[in-house]
Amino acid sequence: MAGAENPWVLGPIIIPLFGAALCLLLSQNNRLQRIVALIAGLAACLASIVVLLANLEAGSVGVQIYRLGGWATPFGIVLVADKLAALFCVMGSIVVAAGLLYCLQCHDKCLEYPVFMPAFLCMGAGLSGSFYTGDIFTFFVFLELMVMSSVVMVAVADSSLGLEAAIKYVFISGMGSLLLLLGIAALYTTFGTLTMAQIAQAFSTGERPLLAVPAALMFIIAFLIKSAVVPFHFWQPDFHTTAPTPVHGVLSSVVVKVGIYGIIRNTSSYLVQEGDLIRTILIVLGLVGIFFGGLTALRTWNAKRMLAYSTLGQVGFILVAIGWGSQLAIVAAIIYIFNHAFIKSGLLMLTGVIASHNAKHSADLKDLAGSGKGLKFISVLYLVGGLALAGVPPFNGFMSKVALVRSGAGVESWIVLGLVVAGGLLTMIYMTRTWQWIFQQEPPEAEDTGHAPAHAPHKSDSPLAPALLIAACVLLGIFAGPLVTLSEDTAAQIASPEIYACSVLAQMVESGMSLPEGSYDCTGGMEISAAPTALPVLVMEVPGR
Amino acid sequence: MNTLFAIATGIMFGMGIFQILRRDLIKAAMGFYILFAAVNLLFLSVGAYDGLIAPYVDAAGQTSAQPSDPLVQALILTAIVISFGSYALLLGLIAVTSRRFRTVDSDEVDHLKG
Repeated sequence: MAGAENPWVLGPIIIPLFGAALCLLLSQNNRLQRIVALIAGLAACLASIVVLLANLEAGSVGVQIYRLGGWATPFGIVLVADKLAALFCVMGSIVVAAGLLYCLQCHDKCLEYPVFMPAFLCMGAGLSGSFYTGDIFTFFVFLELMVMSSVVMVAVADSSLGLEAAIKYVFISGMGSLLLLLGIAALYTTFGTLTMAQIAQAFSTGERPLLAVPAALMFIIAFLIKSAVVPFHFWQPDFHTTAPTPVHGVLSSVVVKVGIYGIIRNTSSYLVQEGDLIRTILIVLGLVGIFFGGLTALRTWNAKRMLAYSTLGQVGFILVAIGWGSQLAIVAAIIYIFNHAFIKSGLLMLTGVIASHNAKHSADLKDLAGSGKGLKFISVLYLVGGLALAGVPPFNGFMSKVALVRSGAGVESWIVLGLVVAGGLLTMIYMTRTWQWIFQQEPPEAEDTGHAPAHAPHKSDSPLAPALLIAACVLLGIFAGPLVTLSEDTAAQIASPEIYACSVLAQMVESGMSLPEGSYDCTGGMEISAAPTALPVLVMEVPGR
Repeated sequence: MNTLFAIATGIMFGMGIFQILRRDLIKAAMGFYILFAAVNLLFLSVGAYDGLIAPYVDAAGQTSAQPSDPLVQALILTAIVISFGSYALLLGLIAVTSRRFRTVDSDEVDHLKG
């Protein structure tokens, strides 16, 4: 059951890197740079979709593999795109492409800085790479690529606070990377390999050598830092709020998901036995996150900062779903992650568009009050996005909430479920409040009526990219079927980690290398358990009927 | 792992954590780099089976039956490049900060409150 060799797996990583190099060569012409970046982003998007479709073909194992340099598995770096990684990568590259589309019509000064577009593309490459890599050290390398390029973009932001936020982030993210490196060193001493599949294989024997569990826990803490889960969140609102709008859209919606991806991987294929304890911790952290994020979003007087805090809350919902850990809950988590990426990036870019209408480019609610009064189109988009985030029926946020509640009922943890629903109401409150404040209030009396045309030819950003993202939210809400089916397939694949391990290691087994005793048996043509058909996401089973 | 390596790594971790908690941003940046150097040393000790002897010989100077692991040295090279890059970027950011705020005391660079 070897995974299919597929050179397209390299696409979402190599295309943005190549585009970044091209952009550096074109540093004299900013306009051309942005167009080249957009083309590279779209091409990467296409490649990631090709990989996902190849995974869905009937009869395939659902794992695409590319061995860098043609080296056999334990000796070289391997890129592995199973269904989870492929789905995350599609999500990431679509949002990055939308960010690049926003850059095309964005009037922030910092975008004219010659390394801005290359840094944006490097962030995209790091994002795809950290999803696809099948080697823990390469994961660290891609993560650092992503962190460093986002630091560069925030440090040059128009907002003068960007510099401070960037320094703060370098320190905190550095601590996360340090823990990750310690974990890698500990795993390498223990198992003598860096390939994730081999590590999963070694963990599956049920033996726990001295350093194995601490190493996996260090990984999880590093992931919690990177995805800004509550006790480690304090860098996130500052760093995200000061970022330029297109970067903020990508950071708050998909970059925080890298850590969540790591947590799903870790709990599903390494620490399968210790899962229960970790899951309990995740539920507690998630609940604290939901309320902390929701309440601080309520008392914040800055539209961008409010959405950054809202991300803390939404990540909390996802963690609770991962914490429940049933197959249905993982389906819910994947649907939630996918939908939240589109809603949040769309809302953030819309906020950027509105903020670009005032001369200061400020997203402070006091400056924004009533500034959207005449903008009917943007007003409707913002309302749709806000309702989708809160989980109101026709939009995709509703699907995520239904799946979440259904899976909570499935594991019968009623107290947590009640708290989750109560926390969901907070989203409703802060989104409608902000919408009213921006679009329904009378604009304040203009103070400078005497010399009004001082900054008359002020250009605002184009709402094209957020409009597309919000349209995707509506479509994903009405035609939710494919995404739900896809998430069910993915969750089924995660539930049997031997598929991931064996599809990478099959080649090694054929060439006669032995695997540790008691681990997954990769020799035979293993039965691929068909995805359990139609998990009852929407049908509430009433017990006792 | 050699005892000397263990002690050295421990001392470097202590130094790094002490430095990174200082208020002076430049000293904190140095602590950042010392911590990464400590991790690199840890990596080196992971692959050095024979302690302080040269990688491919044993204590008697003969070709060793169990040479040191070359993979960790490749990893360290990559890790050094990455930590060096982060450190350079961090120092650059601090240089701009010191020019803009006329101080590198992290308590006085606090415009992000609220």
